[in-house]
Amino acid sequence: MSWLDSTVHRAVVEAVLVGALGGVVGVFVIARRLPFFTMALTHATFPGIVVAAMLGVNLYLGGGLFGLLVVAAVLAFGRARGQDFTTATGIALSGGFALGVVLVSSQDGFTKDLAAYTVGDVLAVGTGDLVATGVVVVAVSLLLALLGKELLLTAFDPVGAAALGLPTLLLDFALLAAVEVTVVATVPALGTILAVALIVGPAATARLITDRLAPLFPIAAAIGVACALAGVWVSTLWNVATGASIALFVGLVFGVVFLGTAVRGRVRRATAANPA
Amino acid sequence: MIERAPTLVLDRASVAYGDVPVLEELNGVVHEGEAVALIGPNGAGKSTFIKALLGLVPVVRGRIEVLGRSPAQARRDVAYVPQADTLDPDFPVSVEQVAMMGRYRRIGWLRRPSAADRAEVAEALERVGLAHRARDRFGTLSGGQRQRVLLARAIAAKPRMLLLDEPFNGVDAVSQHALLEAIASMKEQGASVVVSTHDLAIAHLACDEVCLLNRHQFGFGPTEDVLTPERLRATYGGHALELRGDRVIVTQT
Repeated sequence: MSWLDSTVHRAVVEAVLVGALGGVVGVFVIARRLPFFTMALTHATFPGIVVAAMLGVNLYLGGGLFGLLVVAAVLAFGRARGQDFTTATGIALSGGFALGVVLVSSQDGFTKDLAAYTVGDVLAVGTGDLVATGVVVVAVSLLLALLGKELLLTAFDPVGAAALGLPTLLLDFALLAAVEVTVVATVPALGTILAVALIVGPAATARLITDRLAPLFPIAAAIGVACALAGVWVSTLWNVATGASIALFVGLVFGVVFLGTAVRGRVRRATAANPA
Repeated sequence: MIERAPTLVLDRASVAYGDVPVLEELNGVVHEGEAVALIGPNGAGKSTFIKALLGLVPVVRGRIEVLGRSPAQARRDVAYVPQADTLDPDFPVSVEQVAMMGRYRRIGWLRRPSAADRAEVAEALERVGLAHRARDRFGTLSGGQRQRVLLARAIAAKPRMLLLDEPFNGVDAVSQHALLEAIASMKEQGASVVVSTHDLAIAHLACDEVCLLNRHQFGFGPTEDVLTPERLRATYGGHALELRGDRVIVTQT
């Protein structure tokens, strides 16, 4: 009997992994204003997952490969039509999700699983899911650590990066692919619809707390882990949906920090205007 | 006097996005330590000209040679300064980090900045008068200060050619002075400078040569010879008015 045989233990490990992963990747998602793209990816990987389930192959493989296809298509369209990134993203979002729904509805007895794909269940993750998430955490951390400064420059000043001779298309693809595998790794725990919460929320909250790039990563990761663990705890306590609980905590923390920083900003301005 | 080496050679060059020619029949030579002003109305192709010098827009006819090489091969020794307001002011990056980007090419892949890189960045920020703002977020600076940070980024790259895209747009007098000083010191160190601007006074002040552009080249040569009422009127079409015989005011830029 190993420690990981317990459903709750597995859920805790998965929560820590996806919380940290989502937080770290989210810093780039927020800085590059990619939340909408991330949302689209969560929906666009959905048909890949359904096809994989129908064929009986690994769901990660299906979702991951299909998502990479979408990343390549969106990038190619954006380049060809000149920066019209959101249009391509919007089409990928609705088209991907629609394809998934059509595929699911064509299968008898498949509708029950639809809920599992769309909202996930962290209490149902197996050891294989944990290994897959762990691999993604290591791969994405390595990518960000090794190519951090090039990704930073490409994100901040794409023309300047190209002027320096950096392969900006490849770097863009690497970053979007990192977001994509993060989405796929997060889907079993939070589902296709809610995965975006852990990628956008903690980093957006961290951004309210600090302007500096380096501390953004640990702060966002800590918020992601805390929200994921709180969600698991609440859902086992009251027997409510885990993915939704995690997403609610993410929203709650963002709201509280937002109010806190807004009040602090007002107090500061008032003190600056009327120094005692 | 020692003959200065040519750093930029334009030889009947045309550049195009896909099938659409943007600039045609460019001719001229720039030497070490010289500055050339690109002058022309909006949409004249000034930004495209700069991108062609970076090898980001292809030369479809003729030849552009930068530092004796093709533009793409010369990038290592060329620094580009974009317009500050094209960059996201909310981006979580400090002044120091932006200036450090100028060192990335020299630092190379998979490496971190060394103490020497930090020293270069500190010196570059000193030269634009913003060393005291190094730790501040880029977006909290004024437009003119952000433009100076981007120039510091270029200086930190130790380029032999400096390309600036409209650096004086919406810039206050203090920043304009700081930019002009820094550009002059780059010239003294032997760098060539290409700067696009709407400001004819700055062209007179900072540049040895002028290239008048509006899809075609309307003149290239010493500032005094090229910035004439006739040529400006030709470049700007109906949007140039003559004042007191020898001065021209450009009504639309």
